[in-house]
Amino acid sequence: MKRKRVLVVGLDCAPPELLFDQFAEELPNIGGMFDEGVHARMRSSHPPITIPAWMVMATGQSAGRLGIYGFRHRRPGTYNDIWLASSRSIRAKTVWDILGELKKKVVVVGVPPAYPPKPVNGALITCFMTPNANKEYTYPTTLKREVEGLVGEYIFDAVFRTEEKEKLLKQVYKMTKQHFTVLKYLAKSKPWHFFMFVEIGLDRVHHAFWKFFDKNHHLYTPGNKYEDAMRDYYRFLDREIGGLLKLTDKDTSVVTVSDHGAKRMKGAFCINQWLTENGYLTLKKPPPPGTSLAEAEVDWPKTQVWGWGGYHGRIFFNVEGREPQGVIKPKNYESFRDQIMRELKNIEGPRGEKWDTKTYTSEEIYPNGVGDYPDLTVYFDDLSWRSAGTLGYNSCYLLENDRGPDDAVHSRYGVFLYFDPKRRLGGERIRDVNLMDFAPTVLKTLGAKVPDDMEGRVIEEVV
Amino acid sequence: MLPKKKKDEDRKKFTTVSIPTPLFKKVEARIKDTGFTSVSSYVAYVLREIVAEVEDEEPFSEEDKERVKERLRALGYID
Repeated sequence: MKRKRVLVVGLDCAPPELLFDQFAEELPNIGGMFDEGVHARMRSSHPPITIPAWMVMATGQSAGRLGIYGFRHRRPGTYNDIWLASSRSIRAKTVWDILGELKKKVVVVGVPPAYPPKPVNGALITCFMTPNANKEYTYPTTLKREVEGLVGEYIFDAVFRTEEKEKLLKQVYKMTKQHFTVLKYLAKSKPWHFFMFVEIGLDRVHHAFWKFFDKNHHLYTPGNKYEDAMRDYYRFLDREIGGLLKLTDKDTSVVTVSDHGAKRMKGAFCINQWLTENGYLTLKKPPPPGTSLAEAEVDWPKTQVWGWGGYHGRIFFNVEGREPQGVIKPKNYESFRDQIMRELKNIEGPRGEKWDTKTYTSEEIYPNGVGDYPDLTVYFDDLSWRSAGTLGYNSCYLLENDRGPDDAVHSRYGVFLYFDPKRRLGGERIRDVNLMDFAPTVLKTLGAKVPDDMEGRVIEEVV
Repeated sequence: MLPKKKKDEDRKKFTTVSIPTPLFKKVEARIKDTGFTSVSSYVAYVLREIVAEVEDEEPFSEEDKERVKERLRALGYID
């Protein structure tokens, strides 16, 4: 067990339908591990969003226990004041914290939220939430010099919501290539038992190029210039992963995972527009199209509900005694919430089509929830319609996104692929697993005890 | 005035931390003929530099917060 190591290949947004069902055969490295390992769909967190999903994976604890419900959170008792998730928001121990305490060496790159960099027993580089490359973004701080000596200014992200697709592709390729140069350097030059990275490029490529690839997308045009952009990027990514795999030995298990999946976006549903039209949200004057709620003049004493956008919707109630100008009486909270849930579930598509909308109370999905969770969580048409918080339109439905082009939404299952060079596991697809099962499984693989406070369980099929 | 006095007392208290002997020797060689009179004072200086950074409560300055918010807006997570 002493020589056993684990390499975690984190592919932000990789859906099983593409990685396993459509592309595995074309990808020599991932496909090879697919044929010889075991794989499963991995159920994402609530919400199935990059933050909190990677930390749910890393800690084996649910979003509610972590108190992390997205990139941003509302400051309690305010309407528009928000705080952003950072590495400091994560109080629970990650799998690399636990391994570090056992004197195992770790390398951790790009697992969000990683900024500001926290000490680890090894090396750490932060993630795309880093303000810019002038900041300290490594642990130890001297690692930054090594990184910059190797590749120059470190690239954290590529801005994908742009019509300049050619430029974006170049940026993403450049970023991913650079990341793998750094990863290979770290894999060779640092001692490690546990090595984990997350490549964000795949998420950006999905969001920017899905409509060119998916024949069922409402904006798909046959024979378009970017029809193979996604496929080509998967192949490129696979080659880069292959380069990294060459640096591992027979004692290294490789775990390929994603935080959530992706699927075609059908459109954006303007939640605040809908709330306004249905009398739950009152504005002092009609705003121009595309106004954010923070910019709109909300008549709070005449407002019961407001919503946030994102790939999922967050709904907040204006409760007496809780919000500064609250109107919903606490004794009516639950009946009012039932009514709103019913109405949200009954929302139909723009042509009267039935939607599979999911609404969740926080007690339901965050039973031991701490921190600043919303009153309701909504997945419009099971996430096929994203939630848009902006207002001032003629309709509640936008076929294009409200804040720049975006073709894909998140789906609720990511990937889990386990490969051990010493064992032929036969390429079997096992039952669905959960993000929270990742940390216990990695700990067991490395011979470490699984802490009692982890909510996931060891995936017995692989250890 | 009492709390201040307590703080001063705290400051005067010292404790021992173990470091590997080779590292101790390396530091000893490094501080030779510098303003540092002991390995302990050098190590305390270096640690203070690092810990001061970590102690900063807010992870993002106002400017950084705006910068990250803009990025998140571009990613569709703000409105």
